[in-house]
Amino acid sequence: MKSRYVVAITAAVALLSACGVFRGDDEGGQNARTTGVTSEPCPSAVDGNKGCIYLGTISDLTAGPFAALAVPITDAQKAFWARVNKAGGIGGKYEVDVTRYVRDNKYNPEVHRQVYNEIKEQVLGLAQTLGSPTTAAILGDLKANSVVSAPASWTSAWEFEDVVIETGASYCVEAMNAVDYAMEAHRPKSVMAVHLAGDYGADAAAGAKVAAEAHGLEFTSVETPPGATEQGRAITEITRAEPDLVILTTGPADAATIVGQSAAAGFKGRFIGTAPTWNPALLKSPAAEALKALYEQSSPGKSWDADTPGHQAMRASLPGVTPNDGYTSGWAWAYPMKAALEKMVADGDVSRAGLLAAVKSLKTVDYEGMLPPEAGNYADDPDTAAFRQTLINKPDDSAPTGVTEVRDFFTGPTAKSYTFDGPCFAKL
Amino acid sequence: MTGTLETIIRGLGNGSVYALLALGFVIIYKATRVISFAQPALMLAGAVAVSYLAPVTGFYLGALLAALLIAAVALGIERVAIRPMVGRPVFVVAIITLGIDVVVRVVVNSLIGRDVRQVGDPWGFDLVALGPLVVQQRWLAMMAAAAALVTLLFAFFRHSKYGLAMRAAAYDQETALAQGVSVSAVFAVSWALAGFLAAVAGMFVGTGQGIEQTTWIVALKALPAIIVGGLDSLGGAVAGGLVIGVVESLFQSYQGAYLPWLGQNFAIVSPYVVMLVVLLVRPYGLFGTREVERV
Repeated sequence: MKSRYVVAITAAVALLSACGVFRGDDEGGQNARTTGVTSEPCPSAVDGNKGCIYLGTISDLTAGPFAALAVPITDAQKAFWARVNKAGGIGGKYEVDVTRYVRDNKYNPEVHRQVYNEIKEQVLGLAQTLGSPTTAAILGDLKANSVVSAPASWTSAWEFEDVVIETGASYCVEAMNAVDYAMEAHRPKSVMAVHLAGDYGADAAAGAKVAAEAHGLEFTSVETPPGATEQGRAITEITRAEPDLVILTTGPADAATIVGQSAAAGFKGRFIGTAPTWNPALLKSPAAEALKALYEQSSPGKSWDADTPGHQAMRASLPGVTPNDGYTSGWAWAYPMKAALEKMVADGDVSRAGLLAAVKSLKTVDYEGMLPPEAGNYADDPDTAAFRQTLINKPDDSAPTGVTEVRDFFTGPTAKSYTFDGPCFAKL
Repeated sequence: MTGTLETIIRGLGNGSVYALLALGFVIIYKATRVISFAQPALMLAGAVAVSYLAPVTGFYLGALLAALLIAAVALGIERVAIRPMVGRPVFVVAIITLGIDVVVRVVVNSLIGRDVRQVGDPWGFDLVALGPLVVQQRWLAMMAAAAALVTLLFAFFRHSKYGLAMRAAAYDQETALAQGVSVSAVFAVSWALAGFLAAVAGMFVGTGQGIEQTTWIVALKALPAIIVGGLDSLGGAVAGGLVIGVVESLFQSYQGAYLPWLGQNFAIVSPYVVMLVVLLVRPYGLFGTREVERV
């Protein structure tokens, strides 16, 4: 009997160790002007006469399911702020450091909260807080202490939070537009949302539901667990119900498994996956042919090789990297923080309260063409401010990130007429 | 009916992989009385090794070389990290295997990188018709490979000198030592065998869908399998793995239609429910040895 206890206890320890974190010693004190801002220059300052604004980064850097996106996101943001510093910093007075307080959340809300508590007294705001459920774990504290944060997720809940400065349309809008696009391109009669639980998957599923109902389509939703080996049920449901359109919100390996196996079983309907369902490596997988035949990707922004000043600056700042739209998203997510910091310094109140006030006054943000300026509206009420334009891409072997655009920024009729009065995922 | 049979074949395919993993756990447990939590990392390492070797050597040779490589790695781990702990409480050694698991996974993760890696298998998601049934080729490949390996393994334990030594050492280490069996060699061979089996299992986990950093979690399904089959029974590990695979597959296909009140995705917990039921009825597993304790 003893050995059974050993198994049970050790299994518990295994689970706990997966939640644990190994970290080095923490950073020393600073000559603080206000929380997260010093009159001393940044550790790797371009100009030693400027002060330093420290922004934290909490991302999925090693073991979590979104590491493949999170590492490029974080690298792109380091490059973004290095470019800002080189160009004179913020208001000619400060440079921004996003390299000193970088923490790994392993996509675990508990770890996220733990590492946030470690760095929160050292930073003015967060340059990145990756994930919806993870960020939800610290949201109360962010609000209580006015810690302005740039998310790395697109849940519709952020429309309703002043401290979270989202960029690009939510998963909910993305799915509405995907269904509207499919109505023109594929004329489906039934829609199935296959989605992960929580405010990533459920947000898109809720959007798909709203759009399906608006078009009078039959709608079903199938919640599926993460992990390519766990998709058996989703595939069974798809091949049994044979919907004309499947809206996918999973990870990339899950999506490839679902599309590949469904197609192998004779499924002929269409798939449209949200942005995180794609990874260029899928074009080398056994599901590649099925993906090319049946799959399209909806996206909140243009991909790596787009011809805008923002994209060009990004590519120039990241020489030699393998193209990945994690870089593109990370770069774009940084613009509102830059705009808010500039406004804060210009207004003269360099503090968390000053930064939040600056955010609340922003009606537009200059994304250097990566997104329309109105995507950066944080001043108006959520329904007015919610950005509702997304794109559609399709797999393409010759494109650097494996996808090319088939439909430029558009707002479908469903998203246009929808009233945002609460997070979508709560309505599924 | 054909749908049910296809579901069962999918379950047997996945179950074969769980069985290979479970065999690794049981072989180490029988030899050393330790549950090795390094199995998930060795499984992942095997899959990654195949993904690097297959483009160079072709898939089949790559798979064999990868399995031998991981067997050597496991042997090395046993020599370096486990050997010095002989005689210490098994709990301590089990914790050490947890540490080994983390270390190996960190190394392997850096080899996986950001993208999904493909193992280069010839099956992909291709189907084959078996009379009225249409099933994925890779499930049949999993079953065939597991059947061949299990047959070889059982023949090894029954007919070879080392196999006999391992059985003797598992039965009573001191007596086996007294009879001239090198218990140290038995430990080493058991780790190598477990590494070999984990690598083959990992390769099959990667067929079709590829491998990513989180794939190691699949190996934990072997835990309910070994409890169901009985911790110290090789046959039990095979049976446990197959039972877990089939139950999981049946829940994936039918729970939504027949037991919707259990909520979506009950299939994930179904292996643990089976484990609990078996523990209630037969606390030592279906084929485990009943431990006699004198009070």
